[in-house]
Amino acid sequence: MSDTLSMPHRDDAERLGAPVGERVAPPPGCWRLARGERHLLIERRALGVGLLLLAVLLAASLAYLCLGQQSLSPAGAFSALRGEGDAMAVFVVQELRLPRLLAAWLTGAAFALAGCLMQTLARNRLATPGIIGIDNGATAFSVASVVGLGVSLAPPAMAMVGAATAAAITFGVASGGDTRGYRFIVAGIGIGAVFGAVTQLLLARVDIDTANAAYPWTVGTLNARSSGAVTGLALGLALAGPLAIALARSLSLMRFGDAVARGLGVELRRRRVQVLALSVLLTALAVAVAGPVGMVALIGPEIARSLASPRGVPLTASALAGALVMVLADLTGRLLLAPIELPVGIVTAVVGGPWLLWILLRTAKRTSP
Amino acid sequence: MSKATTVNTEPRPSARLSRVVLTLSGLLVLAALASLLWGAGEVGPARALAALAGHGDEEARFVVGTLRLPRTLIGIAVGLALGVAGALLQAVSRNPLAEPGLLGVSAGAAFAVAVALWLGASAATLRVAVAQLGALVGCVGVMSVVRLRGLGDDPVRLVLAGAAFSALLASLTSLLLLFDQRTADEIRFWVVGSLAGRRLDDLVAVLPSLALALAVTGLIARPLAALALGERVASGLGHRPGRVRALVVVAVALLVGGATAIAGPIAFVGLVVPFAARALAGPDIRRTLWLCLPLGPLMVLAADVVSRLVVAPSELPLGVLTALVGAPVLVAVVRARRLPTL
Amino acid sequence: MSLSLPKTPLLAGACLATALAVAVGSAQARTLDTAQGKLEVPDAPERVVTLYEGALDASLAAGVMPVGAVTTRGGDDVARYLEAYLDEARPAVVGVVREINMEAVVGERPDVILAGPSLADAQYALLSKIAPTVVPQSPGVTPQAWKTEARQYGQALGREDAVNAAIDDVEARAAELAERVGVADIGATANLVRWMPQGPLVMSDRLFSAGLLAAVGLEVDDAGLINGRGAHSDPLSLENLSKLQGDWLFLATLNEEGEEALVSAKDSPAFARLPVVENDRVVPVDGQLWTSANGPLAAEAILDDIEAALVP
Repeated sequence: MSDTLSMPHRDDAERLGAPVGERVAPPPGCWRLARGERHLLIERRALGVGLLLLAVLLAASLAYLCLGQQSLSPAGAFSALRGEGDAMAVFVVQELRLPRLLAAWLTGAAFALAGCLMQTLARNRLATPGIIGIDNGATAFSVASVVGLGVSLAPPAMAMVGAATAAAITFGVASGGDTRGYRFIVAGIGIGAVFGAVTQLLLARVDIDTANAAYPWTVGTLNARSSGAVTGLALGLALAGPLAIALARSLSLMRFGDAVARGLGVELRRRRVQVLALSVLLTALAVAVAGPVGMVALIGPEIARSLASPRGVPLTASALAGALVMVLADLTGRLLLAPIELPVGIVTAVVGGPWLLWILLRTAKRTSP
Repeated sequence: MSKATTVNTEPRPSARLSRVVLTLSGLLVLAALASLLWGAGEVGPARALAALAGHGDEEARFVVGTLRLPRTLIGIAVGLALGVAGALLQAVSRNPLAEPGLLGVSAGAAFAVAVALWLGASAATLRVAVAQLGALVGCVGVMSVVRLRGLGDDPVRLVLAGAAFSALLASLTSLLLLFDQRTADEIRFWVVGSLAGRRLDDLVAVLPSLALALAVTGLIARPLAALALGERVASGLGHRPGRVRALVVVAVALLVGGATAIAGPIAFVGLVVPFAARALAGPDIRRTLWLCLPLGPLMVLAADVVSRLVVAPSELPLGVLTALVGAPVLVAVVRARRLPTL
Repeated sequence: MSLSLPKTPLLAGACLATALAVAVGSAQARTLDTAQGKLEVPDAPERVVTLYEGALDASLAAGVMPVGAVTTRGGDDVARYLEAYLDEARPAVVGVVREINMEAVVGERPDVILAGPSLADAQYALLSKIAPTVVPQSPGVTPQAWKTEARQYGQALGREDAVNAAIDDVEARAAELAERVGVADIGATANLVRWMPQGPLVMSDRLFSAGLLAAVGLEVDDAGLINGRGAHSDPLSLENLSKLQGDWLFLATLNEEGEEALVSAKDSPAFARLPVVENDRVVPVDGQLWTSANGPLAAEAILDDIEAALVP
């Protein structure tokens, strides 16, 4: 497998890293906003992709509010949103669909952002928090809470503790972020395997009713979210989003390799730790809401990368695409086998599975001599 | 990289190697004895020993002869298969992390069996065939996807691809669980590898394919060692790298599929055993394979005896125990200053 | 007030509004004590949704056909033993126990919702916005808990007498069976087991079905393997199978092929040498009924099984 992230050209790197003087023309395809000493380069394509994704996301969200066991016309959905119209429509939209839609937005954005961060750090598209075992840690802890292993925290809190624990153990045994965080990844896979075994053990030992109660925490669903966890995720995303954007420049330089990044003034070790921490934080908060829906961390950034220009790291686009995937997947899960709901984790896995295979196959083809 | 690795092209099974193999075989006999003497039940070592000597009470004779003896034999077969499969996979991919469990080969076998259970299969022989087919698909899939040749210098990518592949199969298994919970209840117990309650019939059904795989292994050990020197060297010595790789895939599929069919997925044995073998005997695949023969069963039996004793009167699934042993070894491999290549 | 709404065919909005009004504001409402406090319910509810096996069983025993119900655990419809009580009118499926489909519940326009004793608070909050939601006060996992719960469901439906009568019938029938079992002198203990390939799960003596076995004179013995936690033991090591020393063995399976499970169990040498197997006193039973269900109708069905096996 070759490096799977698309690599920008070297001259892009120089341009991005070079001090941009007052009279330097903006790179092609960019707008430059200047105000005194400060200036901002806005890439037209990134902006366009962002707006496109946002528009599709809003359209999908409208469909989400309209469709279900009780279908509404778009006009009906809008008036129900405002609290007008008949009681049932208002109840269905305001109490059932809207909170769930918000949870889908937030978890999708958080998973995908976390995925994009970690993929960029490891320079590998498969290196998402879910694949390297952080979701497994969260699952093991929340299942332990459901089956009642003498722990007092609620499953969402335990999911967060689990994600943090898995990440901390991994970080500890890998002794920090080495080159590309590879040790971290392999150690994570190993630790994840242990947590996976523990989850299987817990589930195999409890009776089927308890196993059922733990089931949402093993596949991921938006049906059983807790409002506290959603609030926590919203706050976390509001905090981590800007931090991630602030790291974007370092991230885009780190893609060129350690030497280049260091030469351009990136403090590699510190940046790596920061990126890892952000990624783990976002994953932990999202898992606390929806359980392990790790596939979104793979699909979201993938969509973003195929749309956005190869110049930057598509953080915003990833978050938007992740939210979109989550909304569409949950909508599908609600409609497909109604009145039985398919958990969103299953839908993303079934869609994401073939996608994953495709990535693996395509990459293999590209590498073969 | 690996081309620089010094491989003794004309090794004689040295005196040291035979000493190590003998010592390990002795330990294996002890482990097998322990497996016959200790269990989760009330038949303790004294009664079991009496039963072995031919004069114990009826209960002890039953427990030792009908429960523990088949279980021990199955443990030996599973350990052998997984250890050798790991060594082969690592040699051909020149990657110390290439473990059947980590690469998704076991997951392929487990998924195939889950599908078969879901479709209503229950016959033991069918299960064996299905698991081996699943392992073959998993093996071919992972190998063709990651193009082993290019991975000599990047073991981590292979493992990542395997982890992603395993995650994919795990989610598909969840899908089965969702649609048919009655089968799910059986799968739920089956996806944790264990030697408990497995029948001797299952072992008998698997034995021919295990024997075939070991015979193939014997044939390709030499070309594999040559391949470790590089493609050109191997071709120059008259071997065909493509054919060797294909044979490795078949052997690994037969071994892992067979082991999974009897005992369920048991991770990390294929990592720990070749790791220990290389530590004892150096990187030459021919020596490693010799050591894997006693080491694999030794690890599985020791883990199984522990699994019976820690939570008696119940038992801990074997797969959990091997994961607990294996993860630190995995980390140790990665923590080595540079990832060693084979 | 929206004028565009009624055009949507699937919408039955006005009805729900009326139903809500009736449920909350009617002068004929009664007040119940529930696990979630005092609750007003309509006098004679007509559109009932049950979210728990025991609630469905109790409603049918009380003569009320629910408009919506969750599936039995592990199945895709209500439990098989209830088929005898259903005709063309049968409850619509509104999800599974682990995931209630709220929109489907709303769509049934219930005037009362009967939930299980362990309903999560967040779900209660949502459900009680749809209709008064009855969460019974449960004494916990005991063999007699189902009676307390069924009586509360009966009260919620305004049909306490019918439920009480059904429970009395069960008790009378159990007493009669106990006498016949005593006369037949066929033993006094039983084990309740689910067979798994790795080993059997021994079910707790506090289960609903264990209580019924005790009522007919067969004490359920969990061989000290459960220690008061959970509904069953860990999978028992085959070496410890000889701890199952009851006079009878009831073998529960979640699928319909109980006999098949028995055959597969007999394949295991450790199982085949148990005294109960040699004496042919192993009874394969439906796990949906014996380990998931509860209520007066389930009790009758279990007593049918017991009668057929012990004193035919």
